[in-house]
Amino acid sequence: MLSDYGFVGLFIIVAVLFSLLLIILPVVFRYLKLVPHNPNAVKNATFECGMETIGKTWVQFNFRYYFYALIFLALDVLVAFIYPWAVNVRDLGTSGFTAILIFIAFIVVGYLYAWRKRVLEWK
Amino acid sequence: MNLELLAPELSLAATAVVLILLDLFIERKGVLTVLSIIGLAVSAGFAIALWGTSQAAFNGMLSVDNFALFFKLLFLGIAALIILASVDYAPKFSRFQGEYHALIVLSALGMMLMAASAELITIYIALELASISLYVLAGFLKDPKSTESSIKYLLLGATSSAVLLYGMALVFGSTGTTQLAEISQAVQNLGATGVGDNPALMLGAVLLIAGFGFKIAAVPFQMWVPDVYEGAPTPITGYLSVASKAAGFAIILRVFFSAFGTPEWLSMNWGLVFAALAAIGMTVGNISALPQINIKRMFGYSSIAQAGYLLVGLAAMGVGAATSTLNQSTVMFFLLSYSMANLGAFIAIIAITNKINSDLIEDFSGMSKRAPVLALGLTLCLISLIGMPPAAGFMAKFYIFSGAVQSDLLWLVIIAVINSVISAFYYLRVVKVMWLGEPASTEKVPSSGALRVALAITCLGVLFLGILPGLAIKGAEFAAKMFGS
Repeated sequence: MLSDYGFVGLFIIVAVLFSLLLIILPVVFRYLKLVPHNPNAVKNATFECGMETIGKTWVQFNFRYYFYALIFLALDVLVAFIYPWAVNVRDLGTSGFTAILIFIAFIVVGYLYAWRKRVLEWK
Repeated sequence: MNLELLAPELSLAATAVVLILLDLFIERKGVLTVLSIIGLAVSAGFAIALWGTSQAAFNGMLSVDNFALFFKLLFLGIAALIILASVDYAPKFSRFQGEYHALIVLSALGMMLMAASAELITIYIALELASISLYVLAGFLKDPKSTESSIKYLLLGATSSAVLLYGMALVFGSTGTTQLAEISQAVQNLGATGVGDNPALMLGAVLLIAGFGFKIAAVPFQMWVPDVYEGAPTPITGYLSVASKAAGFAIILRVFFSAFGTPEWLSMNWGLVFAALAAIGMTVGNISALPQINIKRMFGYSSIAQAGYLLVGLAAMGVGAATSTLNQSTVMFFLLSYSMANLGAFIAIIAITNKINSDLIEDFSGMSKRAPVLALGLTLCLISLIGMPPAAGFMAKFYIFSGAVQSDLLWLVIIAVINSVISAFYYLRVVKVMWLGEPASTEKVPSSGALRVALAITCLGVLFLGILPGLAIKGAEFAAKMFGS
């Protein structure tokens, strides 16, 4: 019973060793002079692409974004479920088609709700 | 896949969606009340049409039997009465009427699924559907107290869900299945020594009791009750105290009867756990209710005490011969009569507090002169909650206590009877204030027709169950017998 967990233990040991190795390797390579050391401004930049922030990064976002995030979430779920159906649409036949129609109807109810509650208007 | 077995639930879900959509496009909100009542009635019609079937649906995830149908009808009735009683209250939240009605219907749907589920994961999903709707409903007033009650209910409810899931995981780990019937088989195969050597399984069962104990407000899982009851809108407080509790008991009956009901040495163990919970619950509930000055808080503690009486029935079920269905039917009868009495009391309280704008018991002074019918109804319901004849509460307590005596739980019955006497003090105090106190003004208390109909139904129900309990107890016995698959 307990020996079955041996594999899990093995994985933990490998994971820890691997992580440690990745941290130590660059240090060792630097020490052995295997990697060159010539920094410049571009190399040390915070972002490889994108701008450095101006002012504090802890700003408050308008809470309307939260509505859009929620609406987007519904769309996301819709896509996640429609995609596998679309791939197998021939095999699933009419029953699959009705099921996906009912599913879309549910999401549409959500959008109707958001629309009538004026969530889509940016005021 | 047999969809007609799910007709009551499906029609109710459709009702909820239609309610939300209709609310977006119409101005006259009274239509919503009518539509929810029609939806609940249609669902009840489907449930009655299914009466007598006993089969498992969806790979044994749901079981459609008379036990489930009994509770489904109970939840539908409670939801309908709450919606009728909300007619006077609903103007307080003019903005979200559609959501209010839809959420009541959805939580009734969750409770119906709870009563029918025969598999741990289905139980959890049904429980969450019922609970999440109630978390939102508790915060519907949007004032600080209501918000506080909603947040407290949400946080503690989430914790109890986690405890419940942990228990389910341990039971699943020890038995290898989530189906209640198969869990029962696995436990019997383990035998007495096998279960004794398996602390994880026992811990799992105890955590299940803790998780469900939160729903039914058994001590020591009752901390949320007074604050949530006080802050929530009054119709929702009534709904919580009745439907949510009945759903919790339905699921406990199902799980502990189906999964851990046999053999006798096993049911004996959890029977004693319930006996201890019952003794603590009754005492703590009643003694804490004594000094309350807010009527909603008082009813919160009173509902904790009532859960204690119900647990006496569960204890009798476990300690006595679990194969006999007598104790199940007494618990079901008690739930029925408690629902009637508590709902009736809350309906009267809604009308009165709406007028006087206060939840304090002292402000009920002289209500018999300002609103004689409401005061009479409230008095009848309080008498039923004490357990005095001719109200339903007397027969319910009589059945439950006699079942416990037959299961050799005399000590528990003695504690319960002492508690009934204590409870008479705080229930009768309200009666005294209403009938002997001086009215603060001579203004009459108005109430709508819908609310009066709801009050009449509950009061007639209380009297009917009290004077002619035979029919209801037969129905409950029949439902408990068909408690199959």
